[in-house]
Amino acid sequence: MRIRLSGNLSTDKTLNSSNISELSDDDVQINHWLRSVACEQDKIAFTRLFKYFAPKIRAHGLQRFQQEAVAMELVQETMMLVWRKAVLYDESKGKASTWIYTVMRNYCFDMLRKIQHGKEETVSDRLWPLLDAEQQDEQKSAADHLLSRSLLSHINSLPEQQKQVVEAIYLKEMTQQELAQHMGVPLGTVKSRLRLAIAKLKSKLEEGHD
Amino acid sequence: MIKFHPSSAMLNDHIAGNLPLSLSVAVSAHIEMCDQCQKAAQKLESSQAEQLWQTGNEEPVDFSDMLHDILAEQPEITCKAPNKPEAMIEVAQQHYRLPVALSIFSDLKWSRLGPVSRARVINNENEVRANLLHIGKGASIARHQHKGYELTLLLDGSFSDEKGSYHKGDFIFLDGAQAHAPYSEKGCLCYVVQNAPLYFVAGVSQVLNPLAGLLY
Repeated sequence: MRIRLSGNLSTDKTLNSSNISELSDDDVQINHWLRSVACEQDKIAFTRLFKYFAPKIRAHGLQRFQQEAVAMELVQETMMLVWRKAVLYDESKGKASTWIYTVMRNYCFDMLRKIQHGKEETVSDRLWPLLDAEQQDEQKSAADHLLSRSLLSHINSLPEQQKQVVEAIYLKEMTQQELAQHMGVPLGTVKSRLRLAIAKLKSKLEEGHD
Repeated sequence: MIKFHPSSAMLNDHIAGNLPLSLSVAVSAHIEMCDQCQKAAQKLESSQAEQLWQTGNEEPVDFSDMLHDILAEQPEITCKAPNKPEAMIEVAQQHYRLPVALSIFSDLKWSRLGPVSRARVINNENEVRANLLHIGKGASIARHQHKGYELTLLLDGSFSDEKGSYHKGDFIFLDGAQAHAPYSEKGCLCYVVQNAPLYFVAGVSQVLNPLAGLLY
């Protein structure tokens, strides 16, 4: 018998090497840059992202709004959000280039409403809710799977740092953000520790049930 | 089980940000309730992104001031878990939790016509109007058709018409030619978008036509 940890576990996609091999070289590079911005506020990585995307966003803005100033506002606001909110990007949900597209799409939508109807309020964040909100539910359902007794024993055999993360998130139901704050480490560190721990637990479980 | 979904063209427009707000609200709320469309939406997002970024002959522009300004800002190091906005409403003594997209409408003002309650949420987007519509137990709306389209997203409960029965999450798009008379045995709550007034087509209820404005 083969036990799958959880079909929708948010780390599945990154663990699955067949998905990784579908990424083009550009995609791998862009993911890497955005991860460096998210985890280390890396200005060089952001500069590379900026040089890659700014001209493309401007071209899209020009095509859509036919005005240089508006197109430049779109570049400015999209890339500002990418810089400031990079930490919200969750690699297991999709490519970095897709995430940047959604940031631009959302800003575009609110901008268009402002131009056409004079509406100032932002609604896009609720039409395309941030993937983070969903993640909480997934963690809950993952917790159900994880709370089996055999798993508890495997958790104890994890390296200390990974064990802490798994316990806090699945057993104490802390969010990854709360935990990062609590431990005084960047969110990316919590995420990567969790990924390692899940991979380890998964292989242990599979060992035991093959 | 959800049986009625937005067309793939409409889903595509929603993901591209090209639909009017009234319809995007409906598609977004449907996606929240429908796993199948959620998956399709994610695929569309990634393929649209790929297509858009593909272009390769952008004009060279000097962005260095902009880059400098952005890097002067402080990035967020931890993300506050975005609070999932809770949209709870009460209508006809019943409580409902609405999909996130509908939380953009606050201060709902309900008006009641017999067993039917309505709150207008969009009234100024060209000709389009959107309403929340609550139909009480055992109530029906007289047979009517529309000069434009009528989109109904069933948020809770069920109703039926000549063509069949509809359940929570169903996304029902009728164009102007189709007349129908919805009836709800157990009551239901819908989000309805119309782009032209409805008018009643059957016998006696035609005298109601002056009232049709209340339902649109």
